[in-house]
Amino acid sequence: MQPTIHHQSLNHFSSFTAIKASLLIQKWYRRYMARLEVRRRYTWTIFQTLEYAGEQDQVKLYNFFNALLTHIPQPDRECDSTGTSRSSSYEDYFDPEEKKKLLHFTIEYPYTEKALVQLIEIFRKHRHFKLQPRNVAEILRRSIIALKKLPNINIASTSISKQITVCGDLHGKFDDLLVILHKNGLPSVENPYVFNGDFIDRGKRGLEVLLILLISLLALPGAVYLNRGNHEDIIMNQRYGFIREVQSKYRKNSEKLLRLIEGVYRYLPLGTIVNNKVLIVHGGISDSTDLEMIRSLDRGKYASLLRPPLSDSSTAPGSDTINKVEWKQVFDILWSDPQETKGCVPNTLRGAGTYFGPDVTKKFLEDNRLLYIIRSHECKPDGYEVCHNNRVITIFSASNYYEVGSNNGAYLKLVGPELDTHYVQYMANSGRRKLNFYQRMGLVESGAAKELKMQIMNSKRQIEDAFSAADPENTGYISITEWCVALEQATGLQIPWRMLKDKLVSIDPETNKVKYQTTFDIKSDKLNSVQGATTVVETLYRNKTSLEAIFRIIDKDNSGYISLDEFSEACNLIKKHMPCEMTQEQLEEICRLMDLNKDGQVDLNEFLESFRMVDPESRKKNQPGSPEPQESNISVNTLLQVNAPSTPDDTSNSSPPISPAMIKPLNLLPKIAEEKSDQNINGITPVNQENSVSVQVHTPPEDGQVNSMQTMSLQMSPVLSSRRGSQI
Amino acid sequence: MDEEDIEIPVPINNELERRIAEAFEVFDHAGNKTIDVREIATIIRGLGCCPSEAEVQEIIVAVEDPQTPGSVHLSKFLPYVAQIITEHKYQPASPEQLLQAFQTLDQEQHGYLTKEYISTLMTQDGEPFTQDELDEMLEIATDPHTQTVPYEYYINQLM
Repeated sequence: MQPTIHHQSLNHFSSFTAIKASLLIQKWYRRYMARLEVRRRYTWTIFQTLEYAGEQDQVKLYNFFNALLTHIPQPDRECDSTGTSRSSSYEDYFDPEEKKKLLHFTIEYPYTEKALVQLIEIFRKHRHFKLQPRNVAEILRRSIIALKKLPNINIASTSISKQITVCGDLHGKFDDLLVILHKNGLPSVENPYVFNGDFIDRGKRGLEVLLILLISLLALPGAVYLNRGNHEDIIMNQRYGFIREVQSKYRKNSEKLLRLIEGVYRYLPLGTIVNNKVLIVHGGISDSTDLEMIRSLDRGKYASLLRPPLSDSSTAPGSDTINKVEWKQVFDILWSDPQETKGCVPNTLRGAGTYFGPDVTKKFLEDNRLLYIIRSHECKPDGYEVCHNNRVITIFSASNYYEVGSNNGAYLKLVGPELDTHYVQYMANSGRRKLNFYQRMGLVESGAAKELKMQIMNSKRQIEDAFSAADPENTGYISITEWCVALEQATGLQIPWRMLKDKLVSIDPETNKVKYQTTFDIKSDKLNSVQGATTVVETLYRNKTSLEAIFRIIDKDNSGYISLDEFSEACNLIKKHMPCEMTQEQLEEICRLMDLNKDGQVDLNEFLESFRMVDPESRKKNQPGSPEPQESNISVNTLLQVNAPSTPDDTSNSSPPISPAMIKPLNLLPKIAEEKSDQNINGITPVNQENSVSVQVHTPPEDGQVNSMQTMSLQMSPVLSSRRGSQI
Repeated sequence: MDEEDIEIPVPINNELERRIAEAFEVFDHAGNKTIDVREIATIIRGLGCCPSEAEVQEIIVAVEDPQTPGSVHLSKFLPYVAQIITEHKYQPASPEQLLQAFQTLDQEQHGYLTKEYISTLMTQDGEPFTQDELDEMLEIATDPHTQTVPYEYYINQLM
């Protein structure tokens, strides 16, 4: 300690007093840090719970709509050789994007390392740079050709390089990829990389990540191994942001590019084995994982895992080309998570894959003569985590995944003949000034609180019902416990509500009771968005993708419009699930009501508008029909419901035809779980009770004919149908 | 080995116990009402108590599961911690006391401590900080212009 002008030593007074003072400060400081840590933990729990709940919703939704698609009689269903792609004529013509915004850079085949480095630099320096759509298409096409040649499981070896680097989820965080390449160097034969899936979705620069990885694959042979993740799936992309990203960057060419991207996904290998000793897959394994079967299946069949492939030759129910066993194999390795306890159970949290225990890992490794498994799929605060007795490593490479400061990213180097593990952690800064833990905590927490508020608004009706039940005398107050129970039951989210109550609701300091109506107070100061982004806009954005997804499902011919026929067809099928009876006229009425510009069709904007729950702000301003809806409170669980729609008073064309508030959300999906009890209502039992969900198809009588009720069983993956527990 | 599978019911009698149980749950990764013993300090401090490291060790000894060392079951944790809180054991210092502590160290009453001095104190006296703890503290506490710790301001910031 160098002498300073002021303090030097403890000579001046009793050292005992000084030590006591120090101890007090230390105790106090540790308590302060512990409280932050607790907050960090439960914030984490919130994000994770919400994320997995979202994923589960997604799987449910698409199972259900898959049923619709499977059983709607198709007039002219074209199935091209690629199987699940919705076909339409492929035009090899691209409209050039606004040229002034683009630099005149293109990357030409054959792709060289030099060009790759140049492109990385351009992406780095110019955040808004886009390659020409034709250029992108070519890269994608050539990637498909190259990927097709690869086996289902890549074979990697460190015999030349003596080491290999494994990266986990990147989720569109191009900055993290830059950090990795900067710290660890470009891929090469001496410096090979395995990228373990989930390159896109959530982050804003998924395209850049994907393109750089693909070009690396093409330009640097033997240097890059790519594994497919569960987000390399067009249906996931619809919900988690990648489709939106492509559409915003390539407005006129997104459809064509997305079709090519779907082709890339299809042919991405499913895993990598290094030195015959280490298995690298995105999710994990199950007790039925069979590497031989995985090696030999035709992975090209699975454009999306959430919509199984169909062949146009299958007309009879039950005879489909879906090989359930095979499908489950692929699902398991892309979606599973390790668990602490023994055994192997379906992953109800995600709705797909399994939870596999340490005993499953042990047996699998022994049977396959492997040393350990590397997987990703789960965000970890340190960027990595080891479990199952050091036999399962999770590696996650997207830092700041949930929020700025939420977690480190990491990559893993396997070094030497024994493949020793070395972890490198980092946190991409992206221009923000360095925040201390307290500040980061604040940001992460406000992010979590925002997301939570959104979920609360989604379940508003159920929550209000629960509140009313707890407060029969309508005092406006309930106990803290009652509030927690109500929220947990109504939202189905198992998170520490008690700890969050101060952020979410007002509590009377004297009685310690909760003024429960303030739960829905979205303008609460406690949710001050530190980053300045509006909660409302983000809410809309998030829900918009679900609604877009629904729209695209209904819009079967991909025209961008829902015709009355398409709409009523879809409604007919789901009619059985709506709480109230609806006549054909009522259905037509809804469709007509949605058609704002009266052109006989509903386009995406009109569709979204219909779901707009007018928030208090815009109701005041009285801005119906405004192009950008203010807020949407619909979760993926909702569709249209009509409660005796009344014809609007003013049917004159000058005023807006519908009041969106008339159209309320429909709680659709929970019905899936209750399907089994409804099966016998019409006296029809499905073919196979165990692993199927019955979808009752009733085609409307036409021209006096009565069409018979067809009950078709959709044979679902054993994993998805055997749900247990009472998760969402 | 079957005993492990039987869930031990843990009765929760009041709001306090519920609060403790919920805090416990956040750290219960396996969902089987056990936590790692190393998290005890965080949970207890998170609940508002302010034990010293030595006192934390006492708590650990009292609640650690004798059959599975390294883990703590809620059935033991809950009543013990409920008692600690009801008895107001390990109360945290008031801001005034904290200020007094800093002032004691600030012999010449300058209103601040130098970074070097506080580093020495915190890493040598009392129950010393680890390097990480020290770094984190200094990051928030140090005034970037003067490179000193104006402690009164610091206390106010963190309250």
